[in-house]
Amino acid sequence: MSSIDTLTGFPNRFGCLQMAEQLSSDAVVSGQPYAILWIDMDRFKQVNESFGHMGGDEVIKSLAIRFRTRMGGRAELCRMGADEFVLLVPRCDRDQAQRLATELCSTIEEPIAVGNLVLHPTASIGIAIFELGEGSLELLERADRAMLAAKTKGGQGVVCSGDEPIPGRLGVTLAREELAVENSLHFALENGGLCLHYQPIIHAHGHIEAVEALMRCSVNGESIPPGKFIPVAEKTGLIIRLGEWCLLQGAMHARRLFDAGYDTKVAINVSRAQLISPKFTQALHAALICSNAQPGQIELELTESLFMDVSDHVQRNLKNALAAGVRLAIDDFGTGYSCLANLKDIPAGKLKLDRAFVTVLPEDRRALSVVRAMTQLGHELGMTIVAEGCERQEEIDALLEVGVDAIQGYFYARPMPEEQLLPWLQQRSAT
Amino acid sequence: MMNEQNQGPSAVDDLFERTLLDVGIPPCPVVLDRFMAEVRKDEPDYTRLANIIGSDVSLSAGLIKTANSPYFGVRQRVRSVNEALTILGLNTASRAVAGIILRKTFPNVPNLERFWDASARVARLSGWLAQQLEIRGLRAEDAYTFGLFRDCGIPVLLGRFPGYQAVLDRANHDAQVSFTEVEEEAIPTNHAMVGCILAQSWWLPEEICRAIRSHHDLRALTQAGSDLPMLSRRLIAIAQLAEHILQHQLGLSQTQEWCKLGEACMQLLDMEEARLEALYGEATPIVSSDE
Repeated sequence: MSSIDTLTGFPNRFGCLQMAEQLSSDAVVSGQPYAILWIDMDRFKQVNESFGHMGGDEVIKSLAIRFRTRMGGRAELCRMGADEFVLLVPRCDRDQAQRLATELCSTIEEPIAVGNLVLHPTASIGIAIFELGEGSLELLERADRAMLAAKTKGGQGVVCSGDEPIPGRLGVTLAREELAVENSLHFALENGGLCLHYQPIIHAHGHIEAVEALMRCSVNGESIPPGKFIPVAEKTGLIIRLGEWCLLQGAMHARRLFDAGYDTKVAINVSRAQLISPKFTQALHAALICSNAQPGQIELELTESLFMDVSDHVQRNLKNALAAGVRLAIDDFGTGYSCLANLKDIPAGKLKLDRAFVTVLPEDRRALSVVRAMTQLGHELGMTIVAEGCERQEEIDALLEVGVDAIQGYFYARPMPEEQLLPWLQQRSAT
Repeated sequence: MMNEQNQGPSAVDDLFERTLLDVGIPPCPVVLDRFMAEVRKDEPDYTRLANIIGSDVSLSAGLIKTANSPYFGVRQRVRSVNEALTILGLNTASRAVAGIILRKTFPNVPNLERFWDASARVARLSGWLAQQLEIRGLRAEDAYTFGLFRDCGIPVLLGRFPGYQAVLDRANHDAQVSFTEVEEEAIPTNHAMVGCILAQSWWLPEEICRAIRSHHDLRALTQAGSDLPMLSRRLIAIAQLAEHILQHQLGLSQTQEWCKLGEACMQLLDMEEARLEALYGEATPIVSSDE
């Protein structure tokens, strides 16, 4: 069986496999990986249709010459089929392979003259790096799949094997690592792996202003940080469920506090995805109905940008929330595109200053001036001012001095599970 | 096998009863009686007891949520009553049911006869249909669970809004406007949303929660860009088909849902009219069965 492609003089499919076998055994001996780059020309069928197969062959030949010139012996070149090439690159890791692929893309994208027309070719490239114990055929297949993923993304691009987006359980395509997080998230949602911890917010006069509900997620005893599961939840749409779960659990907790004789407010974070949804109002009412909570005991925390979102759904949802009797608070104020002038239009009763202002106190006098100004303005607008992330007495002294109403932070209390909160509240009211 | 006197209530019992209270839907008194009658026998029939519990929305939800709670540590996720019973044990379940009756956990139970009866029947027939139609990826147990919990928002709303029964009647008879839109004209939410929020808190799979949320939403079922997972759509279709067959065969409580959603459901289940005609007859034993 011939192992050479007659048009380009490159090894064909059969020759490619033989060379891959050789490189695999070399890699095992040397301990250095090698890479396979699978190149597939985009829309090549149209080239054949427009210029005939002879024209197509001319394009392939000129591409082959470009590859040979560019690689200059750095890689073995093979032709796998009509418009598919494979590069076998010895002693090459993932980063090197990615750089090489980028280099190849620019080589491919130089215009080619066919007759008196000019063609602008592009290609999709898949990369796979040899792994110990893997067969050569498997490795080639991985490179092929990565190439197909690049093609599915619209072509003219590079995808490394392992990074191909795979459809997750809810039909949204995700990278491998995200897929693992999605699985954990489903497991947590179906096995009681979520819970809320509550962090008290202490008023300057000593009473408890509110408790903020903070979501915790754990799978098989291992906790997953929000920074990891929130982005995946946002991508898959599970964020809505997480937010609604919080809403109901927070409201049920408020009811239990009420039944135990505390009218402490429970602050619940609301995500952008929830608030832009036309179903938010229904979900809020459903949570209030199922929990039987006093609406006035529920406080929704939203970032400033959400309040300023002028879309119909958001404005209607905010209006409906107020009409339902729940309170609104501006979370993380002072970061992002905060605008003091906007405050007058925001229907919130509470302003939470971002921790970024707190950690530099009391030394940073300019930060303190900003806090003082925001506090005064907030008070003028009838808002309660809360400072987040307070850990030191000096910070708290400075904040109270400029008129901040309430303090949240490790200095007073860390977030705690529900079963610890009630004893904590009882002990506090006893003293 | 049942020896309640010798065993004091355990932490699990407390957990189960608290969970039932959180579920917020009273169990059906007839089911409670039927369950206790079986438990009191010298040799209670385990399968029969499981079936009795499985026919009640409240008890099933309570059992599944309890079995899925972190109290039981790392286990396989539970999505049906049978699986939940295996984990909790029949003793616990029986003690809990006895406790509910004794302590009158749910006083002033509104008249939910129709709701209890309909959910149990829809669940049973949905499970059977899932087996008959052999749709890839659709488990009969999921179809049963969905059928049972699909309308669990209704008793909650009946307990909260005095005029809600009249709203339900209007929604049932409206041939144009979707069921939930009719509800929203009168109350600030709808039973599908309430049901979904509850199911989420019972740790049910996302596909079942989404199906509960959208089970009257024709657009979510048919639109090309709909983000409703395919499994959720098929669950909705199968339960709607079950409801239709029940109404067709029993001729009671006719609703307009099949007129509004039937065509979409048939497409989702890849079914021809002839197959439906045949199913009317084949389903008779399930339709007329009481448990």
